Amino acid sequence: MDIIPQIIVSGLAAGGVYGLIALGFVLIYKATSILNLATGEFMTLGAFVCLSVMTQIAAPFYIAFIVTIVFAAVLGIVIERIVLRPLIGEPIIAVIMVTIGLASIIRGLSHMIWSPEYRTFPRIFPPEPLDLGFAIVPSGLLWGFIFAVVCTAIFTLIFRYTRTGLAMRATAANQQAALSMGISVKRVFALSWSLAAITAGIGGIIIGNISGISIHLGHIGLKVLSVIILGGLDSIVGAIIGGFIIGILENFAGVFLDSIFGGGVKEVVPFVILVIILMIRPYGIFGKAIIERV
Amino acid sequence: MRCGDLKESYLEDEKIFQSLFVKIWLAVLLVFLAVFPLLADAYMLYVANLIGFAIIAAVGLNLLTGFTGQISLGHAAFVGVGGYAAAVLITRFGAPFWLALPLAGLVSALIGLVIGIPSLRVKGLYLCIATLASQFILEYVFVHWESVTRGIRGINVPPPRFGGFVFDTEASFYYITLVVMLMCVGFARNLVRTKWGRAFVAVRDRDLAAEIIGINLFRYKLVAFGVSSFYAGIAGGLWVSFMKVVTPEHFPFSLSIQYLAMIIVGGLGTILGSIFGAIFMTLVPELLNVLTGTTKHFFPGMEQLFIPMKDVIFGMLIVGFLVFEPHGLAEIWHRIKNFFTLWPFSY
Amino acid sequence: MLTYEKCVLPLPPPVKGGGFQIPLPSRERVARGGISDGKSSGKLAHMHVRVNLSDSLVGLLGSLAKSVSPHAISKEAGLMRARGFLAVFSLMLVLSMLGPAPAQDVIKIGAVQPITGRFAFAGVNINAGLEDALMMANEEGGINGKQIKYIMEDGQYQLDVATAAFKRIMTRDNPLIMYGESTGLGKAMSPEIKDRYKILYSSTSFSGELADVAVNPYIFVPGPTYADMFGILLKYIANEKPGAKVAFFYSDTEFGKDPIPFARQMCKDLKLELVAEAVAQVGAIDVTSQVLELKRKSPDYVIFQGFVVEPVAAVIKQCRDFGMKTKFMGTFWGATKMIIDNLGPLAEGYMAVNPYMYWWNDDVPMIKKIKTYSAKKHPSVTYRDNSYMQGFMTGLIFVELLKRADKAGQLNGEGLVKALQSLKDFDSGGLSAPFTVKNNKFPVARVWKTNVQKKIWEPASDWMRLDK
Repeated sequence: MDIIPQIIVSGLAAGGVYGLIALGFVLIYKATSILNLATGEFMTLGAFVCLSVMTQIAAPFYIAFIVTIVFAAVLGIVIERIVLRPLIGEPIIAVIMVTIGLASIIRGLSHMIWSPEYRTFPRIFPPEPLDLGFAIVPSGLLWGFIFAVVCTAIFTLIFRYTRTGLAMRATAANQQAALSMGISVKRVFALSWSLAAITAGIGGIIIGNISGISIHLGHIGLKVLSVIILGGLDSIVGAIIGGFIIGILENFAGVFLDSIFGGGVKEVVPFVILVIILMIRPYGIFGKAIIERV
Repeated sequence: MRCGDLKESYLEDEKIFQSLFVKIWLAVLLVFLAVFPLLADAYMLYVANLIGFAIIAAVGLNLLTGFTGQISLGHAAFVGVGGYAAAVLITRFGAPFWLALPLAGLVSALIGLVIGIPSLRVKGLYLCIATLASQFILEYVFVHWESVTRGIRGINVPPPRFGGFVFDTEASFYYITLVVMLMCVGFARNLVRTKWGRAFVAVRDRDLAAEIIGINLFRYKLVAFGVSSFYAGIAGGLWVSFMKVVTPEHFPFSLSIQYLAMIIVGGLGTILGSIFGAIFMTLVPELLNVLTGTTKHFFPGMEQLFIPMKDVIFGMLIVGFLVFEPHGLAEIWHRIKNFFTLWPFSY
Repeated sequence: MLTYEKCVLPLPPPVKGGGFQIPLPSRERVARGGISDGKSSGKLAHMHVRVNLSDSLVGLLGSLAKSVSPHAISKEAGLMRARGFLAVFSLMLVLSMLGPAPAQDVIKIGAVQPITGRFAFAGVNINAGLEDALMMANEEGGINGKQIKYIMEDGQYQLDVATAAFKRIMTRDNPLIMYGESTGLGKAMSPEIKDRYKILYSSTSFSGELADVAVNPYIFVPGPTYADMFGILLKYIANEKPGAKVAFFYSDTEFGKDPIPFARQMCKDLKLELVAEAVAQVGAIDVTSQVLELKRKSPDYVIFQGFVVEPVAAVIKQCRDFGMKTKFMGTFWGATKMIIDNLGPLAEGYMAVNPYMYWWNDDVPMIKKIKTYSAKKHPSVTYRDNSYMQGFMTGLIFVELLKRADKAGQLNGEGLVKALQSLKDFDSGGLSAPFTVKNNKFPVARVWKTNVQKKIWEPASDWMRLDK
């Protein structure tokens, strides 16, 4: 069946983008144990800012891209400072609800600033698809995948080989020990929120490029939750690999199961996988099991 | 106003209505609720009914989230399960409304147990994510299990009957809602006074210590989840009979967020908080409508902006209450009451 | 009114500045516990009580405002806050009492429009069209002298908000005619419209479920239903290429699934081969698997239903990438200029069904009238899409029905329904073919094709009627 390599290739391409967005989730969770449900709205903001810069100022893409990154970084820091700093020490439910409230606020604001019509990006990448012989990758997915892989690689390198990355890993492992070593935990929090906002913004640009921008772009953010559960809530490698797996499984389900279940299976499959993973292996493939010691 | 009332036994301390003064005001409130349909027009009664359903669902969610500390992001789906169960029982199996309603609650509780069993074994945010997943899965089932739910076409539900009387206006249904709501709130308030309620609070605050003194965490979490789903099912069954139709569009993810917002704004961990939160969050869009309606004459272009303002205000309410007043409206209410406890005599 | 139980006041040491502190009963606090137990327990348990018997109302409010605040603030600050509250409150009270006084002899038409939400781009246009048609009628003398009042509320394309808005307008204004925003709202309200409200109702939706004169006599569709549109497209295909392979690509919603059973049957009747049915969510990000499915089955024509632009653009692009030569078609909401603008060269060959003429058809008298009115009332508007035309046509029909019912002396729901059934060859000034009602809809439309260079739609067929 020659459709299978095509499914796998398309799944990998989509999965790369999911992995990038999942990276944002995992970064924040590792550093602060918060599940940021406003990631979808960060994506929407990133896409809109990039679009606005490109259309209002008629700037080339790389300038718009840099502006988006700066904007996302500032957004992350501002949100961390204003909204999340007062909530340090509160139970997790409060902070998760705050992120949900934030998502509402950002959604309303983007509705007010950019009207709610659907728009498309102007041409950013060359439009020809890549013909691999056994499979064809449409250009949006292809370049999105390349972009996502490059960004993920950069972030992983930052995490591994720079002092800042070391500080973040230390804070994620044990906040008190990190504090006693002189690492400014507050700065690490701000940094992880900025990085998460940046990855979400880039993810938003990629997805906006593939299928257009509207204020409902953020719905993807919820689907990515199953990626991080599959990969493990606190594992970066897990986020990436989980993204690929979910992308491929989604496509398989879409092609083969749609006719049985009357359509729309693709949207619900990530959540079914999530429930199944919770039943067999709740900490995910790469996550660490939480052992409480008294 | 009572002042300095000291309790001499645990029984006195646990009384819900602790003095004659409070009981008199409670009676006044009940009388007002009973004669409300005579004072209000059809639209206000419609809103009142919606508030009633919201109170029941919010109380259920507060039992799970506020008292037991388990976050559920899928409450609207359980309301939907109850709604569809009631609709199918009434239309397919010809059950009378009075039987279908508790059965709908039971169906919802069962589904809740099915979701709860895998996700409550593990500590952490997993119930939160599992309920989120169940929200989308259940929505999918509502749309696609056409043999039972008739998919997007929905099910038309006849209104409840008692003898020859049909409850098909807002005013008549209001009384059903009122009675069911009072029963549900009363049961919940009593539940938190008992051993079960104390176990829930122990699970929320220090589950390790709770386990050590012999509370079976899994069992109590599961019971909390089941009770909360039961309440959701009741709310769903009532809602569906009131609207006379059930479609999958009624139970989106945003409704789950709204229920969570109700209990957070109202006050986690108090039954009174759920009531306040439900009333407040249902009335906020109404208030915004009034505001939009009046300022429309002065700023004709602004109404386009006012409408997404609702999202912003909703979000700001959640964030604002969490940052500045984490115990919610119930806390503000308690403070005002305490202020008047010794008024006008100060020391 | 004061009841004293055992009034033994606990007297903890007074704080600086007077007043004393009242600790809360312990059990209550524990039950409420949880959030901020350590941090604000101090604030929770202590209340600054300072009372002066000779306070005025504002003073009492000031103390109240102070008591509500979690921090101990001075009385002056509390007074300022209270003044602020009072000012805002009285302003709101005054504002709500202002507003136009109700006029006599006014015909009210209410509408719940999706001004915000998923279909906002269409909702804003439809609202503008309906309002313009009604206001134009007012300028030309109204309904035999009576002016029309148009009351609109935002339904946000969400069923509960729309239902609340519908009920609110009915209770507050009791209009003669209502216009609704979605198939869902129409279906939810149809039992009450029939039994309780008895008003004429139309909506943005072209769903066939709503156009049934036996079940919903008060509800009509201002054009062909989605099923009719599919019928027109399939007839067109059968004429162009008999026995062609057809696929449906629809959304997982009421809107998307509405005409599909009828369309399946039509395919069988016209001897067309239905090779695939692909379903996607509105705004789906990755439609690869659906596109792969289409590639496997390689249909000659793919008909979209239930979307406007969102995955349509991605699907067409990906199909072209895969080298498919399929022709794409859409129903009413696909016949929008947004498709041409957003797809660019990919829109070549795209066809859609639309019962109304377009903004650029200057030779149509009604379009000229719309343009003149727009230039006068909305000078900044340069283009009105087909959704505007739908609203406008509905407005024209409303005005005509009101005139007929008023002349017959029956200006109520039943009278309007009778007038509706009497509509034959209704001339809309060329906005569409002459409308004759059949089963509470007007099943006539034509197929349009894109002209990518001129960025307009051109007719690809004559008016096709399904009411023979």
